[in-house]
Amino acid sequence: MNSSNQITDTDEASRTNPEASSSTFSNEKKSTDNKDEVMKRAAAKKLIERYFYQLTDGCGNPHCDNKYCASSGEMKPLTPDEAAAQAIQLFSQDARLCERHPNKIARKQGNIGSNKSETTNDVNYKSNLPTNEIESQSNYSNKDSAKYNCAPVPTFLTEQALYDVIDDCEANNSYSPLIRTLGEIFSSIENLSKSFPQEAITPTNATSSLENTDIKALKKEEVRSLEGEKDKDEDSSAESSKNSFAPVDVSSVRRAFTALFKLKTSIFENALVNALVTLAGNLQMELPTRKERGINDDIVNVLIIVFEIPGLGSGDLLETALPAICRAAQGLPVEVQASLARQWSGVARSSLRNILENLQQLITLRAMMTLLRDFCVQDENVITSATKLMKILYYANMLAGVLESPELRYHSLTDSTDGLLSKPKNTLPSDPLADELGVHVLDCRTPYIPFSEFYHEPLSEAVEMDRDFANYKSETGKFSFMHYPFILTPATKTMGLYFDNRIRMYSERRISFLQTFTGLPSQPFLKLKVRRDHIIDDALVELEMISMDNPSDLKKQLVVEFEGEQGIDEGGVSKEFFQLVIEEIFNPDYAMFAIQPESQATWFNPTSFESDAQFKLIGIVLGLAIYNNVILAVNFPMVLYRKLMGKRGSFEDLQDWNPVLYNSLKQLLEFDEPNLEEVFMQTFRISYQDVFGSTIDYDLKENGEKINVTQETKYEFVDMYADFLLNKAVEKQFSAFYRGFQMVVDESPLELLFRPEEIELLICGSKNFDFDELEHSTEYDGGYTNESQIIKDFWSVVHALSTEDKRKLLQFTTGSDRVPIGGLSRLKLVIAKNGPDSDRLPTAHTCFNVLLLPEYSSKEKLKDRLVKAINYSKGFGML
Amino acid sequence: MAATRRLQKELGDIRNSGLKSFRDIQVDETNILTWQGLIVPDSPPYNKGAFKIEINFPAEYPFKPPKINFKTKIYHPNIDEKGQVCLPIISAENWKPATKTEQVIQALVALVNEPEPEHPLRGDLAEEYLKDKKKFTKNAEDYTKKHSEKRPAD
Repeated sequence: MNSSNQITDTDEASRTNPEASSSTFSNEKKSTDNKDEVMKRAAAKKLIERYFYQLTDGCGNPHCDNKYCASSGEMKPLTPDEAAAQAIQLFSQDARLCERHPNKIARKQGNIGSNKSETTNDVNYKSNLPTNEIESQSNYSNKDSAKYNCAPVPTFLTEQALYDVIDDCEANNSYSPLIRTLGEIFSSIENLSKSFPQEAITPTNATSSLENTDIKALKKEEVRSLEGEKDKDEDSSAESSKNSFAPVDVSSVRRAFTALFKLKTSIFENALVNALVTLAGNLQMELPTRKERGINDDIVNVLIIVFEIPGLGSGDLLETALPAICRAAQGLPVEVQASLARQWSGVARSSLRNILENLQQLITLRAMMTLLRDFCVQDENVITSATKLMKILYYANMLAGVLESPELRYHSLTDSTDGLLSKPKNTLPSDPLADELGVHVLDCRTPYIPFSEFYHEPLSEAVEMDRDFANYKSETGKFSFMHYPFILTPATKTMGLYFDNRIRMYSERRISFLQTFTGLPSQPFLKLKVRRDHIIDDALVELEMISMDNPSDLKKQLVVEFEGEQGIDEGGVSKEFFQLVIEEIFNPDYAMFAIQPESQATWFNPTSFESDAQFKLIGIVLGLAIYNNVILAVNFPMVLYRKLMGKRGSFEDLQDWNPVLYNSLKQLLEFDEPNLEEVFMQTFRISYQDVFGSTIDYDLKENGEKINVTQETKYEFVDMYADFLLNKAVEKQFSAFYRGFQMVVDESPLELLFRPEEIELLICGSKNFDFDELEHSTEYDGGYTNESQIIKDFWSVVHALSTEDKRKLLQFTTGSDRVPIGGLSRLKLVIAKNGPDSDRLPTAHTCFNVLLLPEYSSKEKLKDRLVKAINYSKGFGML
Repeated sequence: MAATRRLQKELGDIRNSGLKSFRDIQVDETNILTWQGLIVPDSPPYNKGAFKIEINFPAEYPFKPPKINFKTKIYHPNIDEKGQVCLPIISAENWKPATKTEQVIQALVALVNEPEPEHPLRGDLAEEYLKDKKKFTKNAEDYTKKHSEKRPAD
């Protein structure tokens, strides 16, 4: 069926413009005289189009040396008009045209096929110039028979074949051929899996096109982190080429479905739904009989095609077809899940969000139904199977995003210096799909779709976490959402953690109750008795004793007693205890932690004199806070939570750790001039300042002072620098801290349930900006007072802003959206008059937290200007 | 110190360039991270005197920007009473590690010569500058004569 190869080249433009094709059709019938004329014109048009796309999109060859090709990188970007003009010029000059690149062309519209028509059909009489019309003679070439509804049943469908069926049906005003075709193709695994095949391309082409389309858009260091993934893709394509199943040409599928869904859905929806239900039944029957690994690519193809169907999120497709498919797909072997995830993360990645939304739609529908029926969501098969499919998407989403090396996770470190950080023995079982794919959620720096879009609010509300936790603990393999934590909102997951904590605490208490009979009484609570004025010392001593004698006591409910005070701890006293400990321990005079001036983030003081025990204490306190549901006013950068979850800090973590340093190092990486060594004069020796202000040198490499950072070694330098700042410099402090934290949480499902950003939420609560506090501490300058009308208006506008806009306002005026320890009152914001009423936007001096506000004539104007300024602050406010 | 080599080179380059508007650069042998020097503006009203400044380079230089402080009092909308100046080229958001100190000084001299009342650190002076330029010039001149350093002979 060589015609199918041609079909993928067909441009969609001709589909959307039926007149164009019909006019050629009529020409073909009328006479052959002016046909040549038409053909020539069409060919010229096609060629110009090719020049146009070469100018705008490039040929797809990353090593292209044609200066009129966007892929060569030698062209400045053109507007469509410029490109069109230049294309016509190039055509008249008969300029060089790049060899087309198979994959690229399949994605783009408006390209013609190769100059040799390979169609074997009897259409060559028309012309030796190929056109869409020639190619359209596919396996439906026998138009006449199609008209009479007795076309041979196709064994697979191609884009063009579908167009033809639709054209025929439209011409005859009878849609039965289309319905028959859909029925035959979409009900059979075999037929559907062979449909929409990709042009036979060699693996090298496949990877170079991946390089071209995906990597082009990425930044360099992201490319570095993708290298590993690319290898994997190469493997998978090599693997699939062993089978007889050509991978699906996703863009062709999309075009075909777009054309199909231009028809009234009522025409074909029933046929499609019925076919899909049959297909699901076939899948369900066939899957258990398949054992051998590697021959399941047909099923992957089928699922890829099915999930591209545009109307899957509504109507009967949603209510009938999708549940059937989900139910069938839950039996997928893990290898098939993995190759589906890889496919989805590759060419089909732009559909990820759609597929996710469709599945969520289905779950919403079903969750509402179960609520009405007082039914447990874990027992609703459609919900659970859709959730299982969503897990495949979740991993595809990571693969499609920016991944970092798994080497950065602790467990893969053999380095003896990290011995202290090796994971405790009883780690939670890892996910089989994650193992098969070799990725972990910690590896994912930036997912393709934000993880938060996987949360399903109605479901999270419907899940009864006590029952779910029981399922999680039961050994009968009942479904528990604890294994699919991405779908649950943090609030619901906190409930899961809460039940785990409570059950553990109760079991501890029961044991101690039993022990009262056996004569070994022990405390049912974790009791701390501290003196207010020696809170750190007392807490240290007590917790140190407990952690040495009986670490499991740390998991008991905390009860704090202040010496000489009567308060009984029902939660309030321990809250106060946490607050006091945090205030004390983060006090700069204590010098355990230092504040990054640029980001206000708290970080370990690498030159701290405090003992390990102090850092262990703060780790325990953090763990206890999670365990006892207390929110702490700490201000750690995200990298701390990543480290707590088991991943070393890396260059990208510097971004919120110290944005100034990060940006500078990024510019070093982006500096492409050959004189990098002269400009930066940087060696592998770096310096930093300790809390006392003295400068300390550190050699990243032996004799670092003598080794220059060059174009070749700049990446190494940046990685080593980040590794030093985030890991090595604070190794001692962090490992004590980590041990303390692990002591409390080691057996809990914390790591299973939460990602680092969710842990932050758990410990710090949602970022809440107390702008009343800010208002009280703000000072005025340049003629304003807190009595000025504009200042009154300002605060009334600001208090009414959304949290997100308040965050932006902070970022705009202070350069950081972090609340300093001690609250917003520590910011010392100054609002200064910047002249009389004018149209200028407010500006800010982030160096001194000064907001410059012209005396606007009205409150409305003030609001308008202020909101504009904070939302477009990049590039504003600079001199 | 890691930044020593670059700072020494930059210092040498500035000294050799013979900048008229920035002179008398003094650097402590033991601490190359702190420079002092004399800004010599050539536009009125500041051309009646010279202004001592201090440049402090962080340990992480050039990956973090230097800070500049005026040691001599100056009547200027963009320099506050404590001698702090907000210079965009060395602000945290804009800093580029490839920026040379010479460029920073040139930007500073330009700001001293041409105040930017649109982005003032001292709103009162900015308003005066915009509303009554004559008065501002007179005040600034008097202030310069009274407080500034002597201009170098040549």
